[in-house]
Amino acid sequence: MSQGRFDVILDTMPETESRLEVLFRQAGDGFVQVEYGREQRAMLQDSFRMLAVNDIILGKNLKGLIETVPGIRTNLLHFDPEAVDVRGLIDMVKQAEDSMPTIDDVVLKSRLIHLPIAFEDSETKKAVAKYQKEVRPDAPNIIDGYNLEYMAMCNGITAEECKKLILGTDWFNSGGGFWPGGAFLWPTDPRCAIVVPKYNPPRTWTPEGAVGIGGPCVFTYTTPTGGGYQLFGRTIPVFQFACKHPMFKDGPFLYRNADRVRFHEVSEKEVVEIYGHVHDKTDYTYEIDQGEIKAKEYIAWFNSEEVQKGAAELKAKQAEGTKKAPRL
Amino acid sequence: MLKIINGGIEVLVEDWPGRLGYLGKGMSASGAFDNVGLGLANVLVGNPSGEAGLEITGGFLEAEFTGDHVIALAGTDMQPTINGQPVAMWTALKVSAGDVIKFLHIAPTGFRCYLAVAGGVDVPAYLGSKSTCIFGAYGGFDGRALKPGDEVKFGASSADLSALAGRKLKAEAIPQYSNEWVLRAIPGPNTCPDYATQEGMDLLFSRVSKIQHTSNRSAYRLEELPASFFARADGGVGGSHPSNIIDHAYAIRGALNICGNTPILLVADGPTLGGYMCALNVINADLWKVGQGAPGRDYMQFQLSSQEEAIEERKKQKQWLSEDSLA
Repeated sequence: MSQGRFDVILDTMPETESRLEVLFRQAGDGFVQVEYGREQRAMLQDSFRMLAVNDIILGKNLKGLIETVPGIRTNLLHFDPEAVDVRGLIDMVKQAEDSMPTIDDVVLKSRLIHLPIAFEDSETKKAVAKYQKEVRPDAPNIIDGYNLEYMAMCNGITAEECKKLILGTDWFNSGGGFWPGGAFLWPTDPRCAIVVPKYNPPRTWTPEGAVGIGGPCVFTYTTPTGGGYQLFGRTIPVFQFACKHPMFKDGPFLYRNADRVRFHEVSEKEVVEIYGHVHDKTDYTYEIDQGEIKAKEYIAWFNSEEVQKGAAELKAKQAEGTKKAPRL
Repeated sequence: MLKIINGGIEVLVEDWPGRLGYLGKGMSASGAFDNVGLGLANVLVGNPSGEAGLEITGGFLEAEFTGDHVIALAGTDMQPTINGQPVAMWTALKVSAGDVIKFLHIAPTGFRCYLAVAGGVDVPAYLGSKSTCIFGAYGGFDGRALKPGDEVKFGASSADLSALAGRKLKAEAIPQYSNEWVLRAIPGPNTCPDYATQEGMDLLFSRVSKIQHTSNRSAYRLEELPASFFARADGGVGGSHPSNIIDHAYAIRGALNICGNTPILLVADGPTLGGYMCALNVINADLWKVGQGAPGRDYMQFQLSSQEEAIEERKKQKQWLSEDSLA
């Protein structure tokens, strides 16, 4: 390792058959970033492994470790350097990494959360109308007053097909952040992996429960806020500041790392009624299954001929769609 | 209790170290922007240094006390008066029911003033902290800045008020303010050779940059960097600009985000995750200086530091924010 003044890589672990190279990057006196591989890539298998290692790290209850903040290819460790030194922290992460030598060892606890969604509901339509009126009247991503047709166009498919793809895959939470209670949800099935550009410039208002997509990630808006994802529907509350409903008794957040979300279509009326049962009557029952992800099985399924063929077909449609869809 | 007559520019309830442990849930720590100001004010009135107080930004707060209390003011000198009579900064002051405290605008140096009261500000802790996150509208006093008519409750003082009144700091314990703040910083996680050039990092650690007027409790924006700062032509899968990367968590408070060509210090209420590279972190013990930097007026400069120095400085700061600083 060079000894430059701006050298920030404190340690490394070599690449193995089931893991990318691990880089420990300096990030101030209270943080260290664990990075997987040197290449900018977003692959769910990297995230599965990292989150499984993260569970081991958290399980050690190391004094001085304040929290861990996983992204899709990095994990940020936040610590008190007067209670634990960075060297000790790195050694602990290395041990956790070494305890999962093969891909067979990567088994991740992952809940499946069933969320109702009303496509093309009136609340998210209001947000799109407000944007068109106040921010960008000529926005090319608004067709017939909404974003769904534009999303379909970008992917070379119809709006109906677009909805089917959204309902047809589980959406994996690689880790939260950015906005209180938020989660970045990635499609587990590459045959459903639609991709769209983000708003330019962003919206000033989005209703609670709005469901949008930006790049490959779906986001369910936790509270009313601005935002840049293309909107296609509305789901039920996934966050509650007041912590009144039993689901939120330990904190205002619904999502945990490694959760999967599966959407099912319902009427707008049904979604709106559930808001009352979550926030006021607090008697709504969330539908959540316990489960796990076995990385080996996922990778085998992902690489199967059938899945890869379907993924390639969607990619071909997307290539055509990208040519036609106006840039934002 | 304190009844607000005029909320001024922005008065928030803040404590220290703020709301730790929720970055992965999208919640930054918030907390006092200048924890040294809050800490010294708390020491003067006999509180633990991290107890919640009022953070007065810009000035013009006017409020009436409804009971007998001991308070202290620390930070920029906003020419405070009680019932029209000037009062001292950095000193424990006795106030009585009916007393009206009034602040003017900021002094030529510094930007925030802290009001601590013996017993602390009594607001419910939310997720372990009384701090306000103003951008997310939660914590503190109803998640917002104080406004006329608000009644801010205080806790009970553990010490006898008459014993506290008149306490002062040693002269050397009063922080030195400037219009050119030197912030000690540790490079990383995204530096040279892979993200920035050596020349670019040298520039970042040598230049003096004005704090842009668009700065706030989430982000302190500095002057743009030249294209030669970047070692890459683009951000690959992360995006078209070389400052883009695949989203990662930000090491806040104190990370310097490079957003396009604009360096942005992510501070109290800053975003916890995003798709831009981060070139350095201001050391924890120097974060307070950022809070006293006035946007549009003051300048900032980064000075290369190390983990060892940063830890030493944390220890010194703990000592500083203790009764050892009392005269």
